[in-house]
Amino acid sequence: MAAVELTGIHKSFGDVPVLRGVSLSIAAGEFVSLLGASGCGKTTLLRCAAGLESVTSGTIRIGGEDVTGLPPEKRDIAMMFQSYALLPHLSVAENVRFPLAMRRIGNRDEQAAMVRAALDTVQLTHLADRKPRQLSGGQQQRVALARAIVSAPKVLLLDEPLSNLDARLREDMQVELIEIHRRTKLTTLFVTHDQEEALSLSDRVVLLNGGQIEQQGAPETIYAAPQTRFAADFLGSANQIEVTIADGPGGPVATTAGGATLQLSADVTQRGPALLALRQEDLVIVAAEGPTAFPAVVRTRVYLGARCRYVLDAGGIRLVALTSTDCPLRAGDAASVSIRPERIRIIAG
Amino acid sequence: MVKGVPLAARIMAGVLIGLAGLLLLAPLVVVIGVSVSESQFIVFPPQGFTLNWYRAATTSPAYLSAAWISLKLALAVMVLATLIGGAAAVALHRRALPGSDLIGGLFLSPLVLPTIIFAIGMVMLWSQLFGPVSFLTLVIAHTVIALPYVVRTTLAVLADSDPFLEEAARTMGAGRMQRLFRVVLPQCMPGLAAGAFFAFNISFDEAVLSLFLRTPTLQTLPVQIYGQLEFSPDPTVAAVSTIMIIATILIMALIDRFLGLNKVVH
Repeated sequence: MAAVELTGIHKSFGDVPVLRGVSLSIAAGEFVSLLGASGCGKTTLLRCAAGLESVTSGTIRIGGEDVTGLPPEKRDIAMMFQSYALLPHLSVAENVRFPLAMRRIGNRDEQAAMVRAALDTVQLTHLADRKPRQLSGGQQQRVALARAIVSAPKVLLLDEPLSNLDARLREDMQVELIEIHRRTKLTTLFVTHDQEEALSLSDRVVLLNGGQIEQQGAPETIYAAPQTRFAADFLGSANQIEVTIADGPGGPVATTAGGATLQLSADVTQRGPALLALRQEDLVIVAAEGPTAFPAVVRTRVYLGARCRYVLDAGGIRLVALTSTDCPLRAGDAASVSIRPERIRIIAG
Repeated sequence: MVKGVPLAARIMAGVLIGLAGLLLLAPLVVVIGVSVSESQFIVFPPQGFTLNWYRAATTSPAYLSAAWISLKLALAVMVLATLIGGAAAVALHRRALPGSDLIGGLFLSPLVLPTIIFAIGMVMLWSQLFGPVSFLTLVIAHTVIALPYVVRTTLAVLADSDPFLEEAARTMGAGRMQRLFRVVLPQCMPGLAAGAFFAFNISFDEAVLSLFLRTPTLQTLPVQIYGQLEFSPDPTVAAVSTIMIIATILIMALIDRFLGLNKVVH
């Protein structure tokens, strides 16, 4: 039985449809990310699951029970807000105890033990008596997380909880979230607009677009095999080029409008006009020597420390490549771009 | 001082701040001086030193009864204005009511409406509807002019608070009453405390409404002081005023001690 079962969720604000028939089933202990650009409906879907928004139609089941008509306080959930929403007049320990007190879970001693355990999990036991305003942003974030996991809810709802942290802290918290999820095994629904965050944290990524599920799957699958133009664009911002596929001497060959050719892998059966997705990190750049599939000119070079991002002009086609080694090329240099045939994705849509 | 401000402007600012301070403090100095003067009349600078006027003030039945009325009145106004104003501020903050802006304007209008016009209206309306004025009339009238202060201070703290606190409390299992007492009220507390302080002071200090709504047996302290000053001025008036000043400072000190005035007054 699924821990959370959303069926045919429609939600409109006035005449504006925000969710258009979303069905999503989350297994117990699964970590699912709702990924999408702002306005795609991901936060609204989370708020519907929490009960903070009512659905226009559709049903919501949590732990097998139909909770569609129940207010949030009657649902066995916990939610972590982007702003953390710590109660400013309560200490850290009192904040973490709040859901236990409201839901009457355990007696005072048991509650104290649960609070201590939750604070241990986020390594904040030493700050139990502080007030939220005396804590740093990262510490407040951990308190909010401790408060969300303390009651061991049937589902943990996280609304972009890492977006207010700086880059360093965000990386640390990602690792911590993975470890905490592994330990607590809480069913988790996580909303984010950051594809890297979604890929690194989840068991399953659900890509939302225009109030509907665009594609879903394990991070590796959804990243490696985007099925739509939107998915390819949103995940890893792949290069997309219009080509025509035809049979060549060594198997199928894709030809761009500019006449450049790309050898495709032999198992490609599609012929005719198609859209290719080439990942930035799959493009290999070498100095222009010898015959090449893609002669190009370097337009811009962005040095990223460990990596280098090149923006190239390949006969009128703009390509972005991410190299992992040293970056000898400069803007204006001629280069040649190649890609291993099995790395090329052909998108139907 | 801010850097880059021309010297002339800085001197000007210094002079103005000094003048403002002088104008605020000078009357207090005069009143306190007069209250300990041995002279039978209100003269400054004081002649000699005596606490007789304080004895006269604290044993005068007229002053004592006026002080008692003022105190009861101010406490009643404080409680009523805080309750009504606090509830109004929460409702206005949430924009829960249709026409929130209009209602908000209505609640703040006593700040801009001349008190004397309100006083005249109140006297006419009350006597026509309910007959002779009473303590209750004063309570209602003072509550109306104290309300804007409670509404303003409470709205100010609510504007600074996290808008998701109540939703967060709902996801933690808090029902309506639990949210009211454990989330909303604690959030409003600094604003309510400041508002209560203002409401008490405004009522205790109010003269125009109290003058229009007085009866021979219903005289507040400011009205009593005013009457005394008009008909038989002697330094007891200054002694009573000094006691009021000290009482105000004490209340402020108490609020600062327990709540922090910086939190209360932005």
